[in-house]
Amino acid sequence: MDLNILGACIMIGLAALGAAIGNSNLFAKFVEGVARQPEVRGTLFGLTMVLFGLIEALPIIGTALGILVLFGII
Amino acid sequence: MELTPKFTLDLGLFKLDFDLTILIGTLLSAIIVLVFMLVATRKLEMVPRGLQTVAEMMVDFARGLSEMGHDQKRAHKFVGFTLTLLLFILVANQLGVILMVTSGPETHIPALGITHEAMEAANAHGVSWLKSPTADMSFTFTLSIAIAIGGTILAIAYNGFGGWLKGFASPMAALHILEAFINPVTHAMRLWANIFAGEILITILLQGMWWTSLPLAAWIGFSLFVGTMQAYIFTVLANVYIGQKISH
Repeated sequence: MDLNILGACIMIGLAALGAAIGNSNLFAKFVEGVARQPEVRGTLFGLTMVLFGLIEALPIIGTALGILVLFGII
Repeated sequence: MELTPKFTLDLGLFKLDFDLTILIGTLLSAIIVLVFMLVATRKLEMVPRGLQTVAEMMVDFARGLSEMGHDQKRAHKFVGFTLTLLLFILVANQLGVILMVTSGPETHIPALGITHEAMEAANAHGVSWLKSPTADMSFTFTLSIAIAIGGTILAIAYNGFGGWLKGFASPMAALHILEAFINPVTHAMRLWANIFAGEILITILLQGMWWTSLPLAAWIGFSLFVGTMQAYIFTVLANVYIGQKISH
């Protein structure tokens, strides 16, 4: 078995693990915030989506680099 | 992975590689944005109708975005920049999801570097003719480095050269200098990786069995969402980075 497949799998898996923790924290706090103050739901939703994009960026960078490793480009 | 048609310009000292796919994608998204805005603002009326309503909503949205990054009194100068960047990246992101053009492995054009040997060497299954220009690292790095340099020039123009240097004279100077190099890298990588990973997964799912059509439909929907999201985030971050450079 080629080692680059293993490398890509570890890369994508660990990145997904970190993002899962980050996203769960973010959305748990979002739900909590809406439960406390339902009237700020719109503001909080926009803010949450921006932060979601920021968190989601790192694992997706890991995934993209993992794909490049998988195809043996880097 | 697919090959892309390239032509090389030999300048003696160094060679310039032009990727035809990215040039086509960039031009096409620029033309789409230009034509849309020209059509939408052709007959301006006091009471907006049809496309003019859409265009006015976009300008309002862009004003909101530029106010996120700049001072109240300076924000209106950046509305044009924000709107241009937002629309251009939005169209460029969705181009590869909606309109991906690929030719088969038997394509043979030696003038553009597409030969059977090159395809075997790159382990490619075809030639890509139209995809998102943002799925290429050099494109997003061009944007982010241009934004970083432009922000620095604006900072010098607003604060004067001395004032700009004084911004670095703080206990966190090392952090500021480090940030100036790291920000463009993450800024570009964030956009590139999202679009690149989306397109690769679409390509892989397209080569699958009949039952991959369901995840493919779901993933295309998610890609549209991610493309819109990343265009928004890229624009907000561009404004925030420029605003930080100017104000500190």
